[in-house]
Amino acid sequence: MKEKIEQIKKDFTSELTSVDTEDSLENIRIKYFSRNGLFAQLFEDFKSLPKEEKPKFGQILNIEKQSAQQKFDEIKQKLESNSTDKAEYIDLSLPGREREIGNVHVLNQTLNEVKSIFKGLGFSIYTGPEIESDENNFEMLNFPDDHPARDMQDTYFLSESFLLRTHTSPVQVRLMKKHQPPYRAIMPGRVYRNEAISAKSYCLFHQLEGLVIDTNVTFAELKGTLVYFIKQLFGSDVKYRFRASFFPFTEPSAEVDIWWEPKGKEGKWLEILGCGMVDPNVLNNLKIDSEKYIGYAFGMGIERIAMLKYGIDDIRLFFDNDKRFLNQFK
Amino acid sequence: MIISLKWLKNYINLDGISVEEIVDKLTTSGSEVEEVIDKSSEFKNIVVGYVESVSKHPNADRLSVCKVSDGNELFDVVCGAPNVSAGQKVPFAKVGAIIPNGKFEIKSAKIRGEKSSGMICAEDELGLSEDHSGIMVLSENAEVGKPLVEELKLDDVIIDVAITPNRSDALSHIGIARDLATIFDKKLIYPEINFEYKVVSKNDIAEVDIENAEGCPRYSAVIVKNVEVKESPEWLKEKLTSIGSRPINNIVDVTNFILHEMGQPLHAFDLKHLSDNKIVVKNNLGEGEFITLDSKKRSMLPTDLMIWDGQKPVAIAGVMGGENSEVTADTKDILIESAFFDPSYVRKTAKHLGLSTDASYRFERGTNPSGTLDAALRAALLIIETAGGEIIKEVIDVYPNEILSKEISVRFSRISKILGFDIPKEKIYDIFEGLEFNIINKSEEEITVSVPTFRHDIEREIDLIEEIVRIYGFENIPPIENISLALTNKVDETSFLDDLRKKLTAFGFDETVSNSLISEDKSISYTKSVKVLNPQSTEMSVLRNSLLPGMLMNISRNLKVKENQLKFFETGHVFSSNSNTIKSFEDFSENENLIIAICGKRQNTEWYQKESYFDIYDLSGNVNGLLSSYFDIEKLESKYTFEGDDYFEYLVSKSFNNVNIGSGGKVSNELLDKYDIPNEVFVFEINADNLKQNSKDEKKYQPLLKYPKVYRDFAFVLDKEISYYEVEKTIKDSNSKLLKKVNLFDIFESESLGSSKKSLAFQLEYFDEARTLREDEVDSEFWNTIEVVKKKFNAELRG
Repeated sequence: MKEKIEQIKKDFTSELTSVDTEDSLENIRIKYFSRNGLFAQLFEDFKSLPKEEKPKFGQILNIEKQSAQQKFDEIKQKLESNSTDKAEYIDLSLPGREREIGNVHVLNQTLNEVKSIFKGLGFSIYTGPEIESDENNFEMLNFPDDHPARDMQDTYFLSESFLLRTHTSPVQVRLMKKHQPPYRAIMPGRVYRNEAISAKSYCLFHQLEGLVIDTNVTFAELKGTLVYFIKQLFGSDVKYRFRASFFPFTEPSAEVDIWWEPKGKEGKWLEILGCGMVDPNVLNNLKIDSEKYIGYAFGMGIERIAMLKYGIDDIRLFFDNDKRFLNQFK
Repeated sequence: MIISLKWLKNYINLDGISVEEIVDKLTTSGSEVEEVIDKSSEFKNIVVGYVESVSKHPNADRLSVCKVSDGNELFDVVCGAPNVSAGQKVPFAKVGAIIPNGKFEIKSAKIRGEKSSGMICAEDELGLSEDHSGIMVLSENAEVGKPLVEELKLDDVIIDVAITPNRSDALSHIGIARDLATIFDKKLIYPEINFEYKVVSKNDIAEVDIENAEGCPRYSAVIVKNVEVKESPEWLKEKLTSIGSRPINNIVDVTNFILHEMGQPLHAFDLKHLSDNKIVVKNNLGEGEFITLDSKKRSMLPTDLMIWDGQKPVAIAGVMGGENSEVTADTKDILIESAFFDPSYVRKTAKHLGLSTDASYRFERGTNPSGTLDAALRAALLIIETAGGEIIKEVIDVYPNEILSKEISVRFSRISKILGFDIPKEKIYDIFEGLEFNIINKSEEEITVSVPTFRHDIEREIDLIEEIVRIYGFENIPPIENISLALTNKVDETSFLDDLRKKLTAFGFDETVSNSLISEDKSISYTKSVKVLNPQSTEMSVLRNSLLPGMLMNISRNLKVKENQLKFFETGHVFSSNSNTIKSFEDFSENENLIIAICGKRQNTEWYQKESYFDIYDLSGNVNGLLSSYFDIEKLESKYTFEGDDYFEYLVSKSFNNVNIGSGGKVSNELLDKYDIPNEVFVFEINADNLKQNSKDEKKYQPLLKYPKVYRDFAFVLDKEISYYEVEKTIKDSNSKLLKKVNLFDIFESESLGSSKKSLAFQLEYFDEARTLREDEVDSEFWNTIEVVKKKFNAELRG
């Protein structure tokens, strides 16, 4: 028995010292410590020893097994720490696992910017349908039937009395039909113009209109509000001008131009807004007392603003949805 | 509208006011200047040249080499014109000049081996006419070396003004001069009309009868006899050319001149072609063709107002004269028509004919009913000046119901209330006087004016306020420092879609925005599409009834430019009709949809992975992930269709309480072929309105779980055809509410299982919000489930 223990001890020590991989260590574990391993066999042999020898060999066996286990664990730990060192070699310069963030369309990014400026000024936001009645799109807004003013907006007709809205003003009409003043609202949405498609014009675009009606609003307030808006959008040193214009639904009417001078190019005035005081005919059409209430309205094209802000020279790019274009505005 | 500054100066003294100032004030007062062309700078470096000698080009038969003097120096110039000869004075474009027609710069060059420093110009090259028969030869008296603009009196500034549809009064040189005179506080100078006449409704030679007085409130006519039709004098040709109008003959040119001077369209008839020497203003009889003076056949309607003679129509009232009565070279006696036609009559006719003329453009916006006689007389006087002849002193003027000036008052308090600041009363008086509004009454509170008859746009107090502020100048409106606002409820009807956008971009989707007009063959036959009556093209003739066609176009376009990792979404209105014609809002439906589409590579080959392609499970994962933020996803019902249809190879529809939420799947190959898409495409289209209305409206806090969760795993081998959904449902049904989640963590197929079998491995999660579960109660549910599944699907427990 003693010789057997000594032999196993010797073999174990020499095998353990030559171990260099986790696999060979595992083989040693199986050979010596598993259920049918050599140490287990020794304990099996121990059972058949004469009674008087049992205490002596029991002690030796336990000590030897413990010491062997201890040596084994040391080597195991050493091997593991070696291999962890290897696995923890991190190449920080490797490109990581790629993730791509999605992107809101540049038109909606621009719209969001505009919306947030007006939200800051206490405006509500309303929307409406794109198919409209002639009544809501023209009649209520003081476009007389058969008037040259209707030529200002080339219209897609769906029937005698229904059309694709040419502006978002019918949303104002809907608001005024449904609620009593005061109003302080913007209305973004898609509008249509029956024009040939080119770099400068598309058959549809996105508009945002605003309407404020109360007992104490003035043209000076309209101007102040819009000046604040364009400074927020284009920077406080933007050069602008208000000029008289004509819209059937406002009187007096004006358009706002900003001075645009891209690097290396000649500067010019570019129209970005139309505005005016709500025409009393519109208020009367909608049963609002035009002596008591005064209103102002304004409107702008989102494409135009986005083209200016980002230097986009072809309106069709917005609707082509080429990912190489879309991803430029992340 | 084109305005010549030189011409304008006939009616207003603009000395000391720069072109920039004029342009700026015109623009800010409502007549937007779109372009300014300074003729002097256009003709820079073009001078009167003297041809000293001409010799044949040694290398080219048709070319000659000329020596041209600019008064200081001699230049060699190669010229191709047949009419060039020594001793001529010619327009000479020196090196550095930019040729007006064609905008190319003259440089020193060798032409077929001969040096050429400059160019002798033809009229067309200078933009003066269309003549290219040879070089332009100047008068012998021309001073050599003088700038050509001065020699030809072309030193003018041409201004292109956009006149808004309400301002018909500004559609002439005098109209523009009137605004400028008011703005710059100058006097408006009208042309003098010195002629003694008597007004009659008929004279010895002709008579005028208005049968439709609604269509024609006033008709004035002046007769000039014994005219000689010929080329117009230089001054007249110059005026018309300067504004881009082509001179024709002295009679026609005078009528065009008056139109651009006073805004009154005129027409000259050859009197000998007017049967019975009569003019009758009445509607067309029935339908029929009429040949206008441009020799084109026009289809007329019974509603069209025409000018008739004793027998036949001779002109379309306010639009264009007829060929049968136009002035020709042998015309002797003429009748000048100067009328006021009702705007809507002219507009309707011009519109159905698709014919817009200088005359119809002005009539349909409203001309001056009080100015017809003056215009006719001024024309007659200019005609005898340029064509000889004599004016018949009995001038015809039929004006059954005189159009009177409107009287309108404006309250000073209202001006301040609308504008938000005060304008000095004196300034207001000046503005009205300048614009030729007669001040009838002034008081402390208000001012009453009579509105000139050329101002059809002024009807109400607010219109007067607009006049005041547009002349006063928007730039003079004082800036305000603060605003007050009503503290009413605020609404944002766009927030739902904005929230959707945030969620989808967080999932890595890019938003697209597509045209809502598509071709009819692209529309999706699930519903009937709404047609546009007047489309630009068949490609854009119906409104989309789904976002799918637009999305497939986007995908196709991207694949063609090698963008092949596509995760797109779009929101937008879709339309369908319920009726053949749209007469009310009930005849169609319009709602907001959302489409999600994936196509191409899920991932590229990288150091950590191999490339892989999107499949249906990417779609369902994204759709479920999105929808789970709006619904308790467990309550969403799904319907699976494996047979597919025209558009989908197979599809899933989702609904909530029987309301359709959306559907989608794998797009069929037939459809992909139409869009030339080689890759698989997976889309899901959601009715965003239904989504919004049915989604849980409030977010609410739930206390965090205090008790442990208990997990149980098992795997079954069962027939491949049995869907996950059925097994999941069975598992759920066979458990109590303690079962909170079923997680499928493995699907395994192999030969060892048998080719018709699959193994599904599940993890079940149990817990109770109120207590710790006992192992035995979980075990009893778990083992029961195993038995139920085994029995129902003839499944075998694997481990």
